[in-house]
Amino acid sequence: MQYQSNLKREQLIDLALNAYFANVDQKNLEAVLDCFHDNAMITVQTAFATHAGKEEIRRMFVDFMGAYKTIIHKDFTCTVDEKNGRITACFTAELEDQHGNWTRLQNTNFWRIREDRFQEVYIYMSGENPLV
Amino acid sequence: MATKPYEYYVDIVTKRYFHGVDNFDMGLVLDCFHEDAVLTEVTSMTVHEGRDAGIRTMFEGLFAAHSRIWHGNFVHTADTETEAICSQFSVEVTPQDADSELRYENCNRFYLAQGKFSRVFVYMSGENLLR
Repeated sequence: MQYQSNLKREQLIDLALNAYFANVDQKNLEAVLDCFHDNAMITVQTAFATHAGKEEIRRMFVDFMGAYKTIIHKDFTCTVDEKNGRITACFTAELEDQHGNWTRLQNTNFWRIREDRFQEVYIYMSGENPLV
Repeated sequence: MATKPYEYYVDIVTKRYFHGVDNFDMGLVLDCFHEDAVLTEVTSMTVHEGRDAGIRTMFEGLFAAHSRIWHGNFVHTADTETEAICSQFSVEVTPQDADSELRYENCNRFYLAQGKFSRVFVYMSGENLLR
């Protein structure tokens, strides 16, 4: 679906990298959820897993943040479609579980923005899905 | 600095590249790539180097293995400033000597220079077809 957004290029990048990923890495759950509409949807496309609605998304992030001691997203390359309110980023995700084991992924996220926050998010992962 | 208009990026992906793939048109497909292009299938970390070497060989294998290939349901994120387009889409393929159809929900990231693909990254939702 095509959504309406007036966010400019730098605002779209700021939403994806600073408002969203920086807060995921800091485990600031409420700040992360503020990036989503109440009826937003996250789909991990490489695993055919969908989380629909803010409460399901909250549950997913509570489990994710609890499962990993350290969460790092870095080395972003952004592609920005300002006219259509879309942004993608490829990045490295480094996750340390509670036993000290590290997982390294090369992922790509697609965000579709309605107004000023996420309506649809699609994640393509290079390995096993940790967002269960 | 934008060197091509927005629609150029959508057109090279849909009207040239995937149209060529779906019609088994090797010339049309390879013409989208620079000679030193690299295509990486990220979900299995398979790397195909060179338009006339690794990439051609990969498509020869794909074309030989399937009687039908279809890409559609595209949603694009096109960026004229960075000369890149990231595309989400569905894929349907029918393997040779099989009636069954396989369906994938994939994405590609295309990075261009002077209007042709220099780096392409593919994520597949199922088993890697691009060996």
